[in-house]
Amino acid sequence: MNLERVPNEEKLNLCRKYYLGGFAFLPFLWLVNVVWFFREAFVKPPYTEQQHIKTYVKRSALGLLLWVAALTTWITIFQHFRAQWGEVADYLSFTIPLGIP
Amino acid sequence: IPLMNTSDSEEEFYNERTALVSSESPTMATYTQDSQLPGPADTETKEGASSRLARGTAEREPAVESEDEELTLKYGAKHVIMLFVPVTLCMVVVVATIKSVSFYTEKNGQQLIYTPFTEDTPSVGQRLLNSVLNTIIMISVIVVMTIFLVVLYKYRCYKFIHGWLILSSLMLLFWFSFMYLGEVFKTYNVAMDYPTLVMIIWNFGAVGMICIHWKGPLQLQQAYLIVISALMALVFIKYLPEWSAWVILGAISVYDLIAVLSPKGPLRMLVETAQERNEPIFPALIYSSAMIWMVGMAQTSSPEPRDQETGQQATLIMRGIEGLGFPSAGGVKLGLGDFIFYSVLVGKAAATGGDWNTTLACFVAILIGLCLTLLLLAIFKKALPALPISITFGLVFYFSTDNLVRPFMDSLAAHQFYI
Repeated sequence: MNLERVPNEEKLNLCRKYYLGGFAFLPFLWLVNVVWFFREAFVKPPYTEQQHIKTYVKRSALGLLLWVAALTTWITIFQHFRAQWGEVADYLSFTIPLGIP
Repeated sequence: IPLMNTSDSEEEFYNERTALVSSESPTMATYTQDSQLPGPADTETKEGASSRLARGTAEREPAVESEDEELTLKYGAKHVIMLFVPVTLCMVVVVATIKSVSFYTEKNGQQLIYTPFTEDTPSVGQRLLNSVLNTIIMISVIVVMTIFLVVLYKYRCYKFIHGWLILSSLMLLFWFSFMYLGEVFKTYNVAMDYPTLVMIIWNFGAVGMICIHWKGPLQLQQAYLIVISALMALVFIKYLPEWSAWVILGAISVYDLIAVLSPKGPLRMLVETAQERNEPIFPALIYSSAMIWMVGMAQTSSPEPRDQETGQQATLIMRGIEGLGFPSAGGVKLGLGDFIFYSVLVGKAAATGGDWNTTLACFVAILIGLCLTLLLLAIFKKALPALPISITFGLVFYFSTDNLVRPFMDSLAAHQFYI
């Protein structure tokens, strides 16, 4: 979909929908939102809906950062303590590497 | 032969067929990045796949016409390049996976229900017979599905088709990618926990569904289509027995040829029905190289860009059809089935062919075939099957490289003789 030819209202609508969709545990959707609408929100000359689009992009970016922080923390903890946790870790593991940790 | 099986189990497969179709609309340069096409003027006609170059209109100057021809060919050339990249990417992904993740080359006896005859037979004749039988079954399944699809389309059961397509893309995006990730992690001996994995698969799948079936950035949609083609090709490579795979590739090319070009072929009927109804195409099974504008069939001078989502094209084909590619105002389209079968060919060459020479030879062969097909598309401007030329070249190159070039190179290297 090319944003060039889309009327501004639709752009706002799309941005909003992507923003709302991201709340369903979809930080990737927020990332797509930020990347896709970045130019629209910050680079292009101002137009009426741009203010709203900016808010959505900023909030999506914020949500994305939070998720990235949370996931990184969890992954680090898991990878570090996996061997020590024993059974619980095995239960949580999808793949268990071979060899000595 | 476009064929879409949705299935919820791993045994059934998601099959797609392809053809290249040319559209009516190539005149309209409504897409800003396109090369400059001359004004549409008189060339749109409602019926048939008549050439944009208005071979019928007497009033055009020969000079203008030849300029048009040149522009059409340049336009065609640009889109050839635009299709090279995704096809190459898909093949690269498949070959990389085949070479690194051994899961996809392990044959543990499991086969698809569509290929019930085993190839574990004592004699060569028996094996050949079994592979031919497997092919016959597979092709008949495909034919039946295609005809079913044509019927559904003719009777306007759009909801059914839509639902079917959504189910199958769901399966591809979630189930197959789950399997794929699992195998990659096992290969690289990485620990992965369920919560993270669920997040990854959920994000990948959900954004994929949104991008493909609703609205999303064009590059992301293209990327997703490439990825699902690669996943499908990998499933084929794993579950089709050796000889059956090659025979199936050959048979499918022939079928593609028949289905698209012969007057009673299902694909052709589909194309014509879509053209008559002037309907947009569902985006999910067609890769489009650029944003398309819906150009009115009956437009004369200025087509109105009623834009729809990516991939919706004025003239053609509905989505269930795999592999209808056609040049549109914004770009060329190629069906996902084409991607899949090209990748299956190159993937099998990488899996069984011995060394990189064979793989590269097949890769080059397919690209040459694609070039030729697109050239023919620019010349004929009608629906064309994308498989036959490429697959033929690919098969020829594979077997000849494997059996002729490789021993030659080996003995050259053994004798330290450089040419």
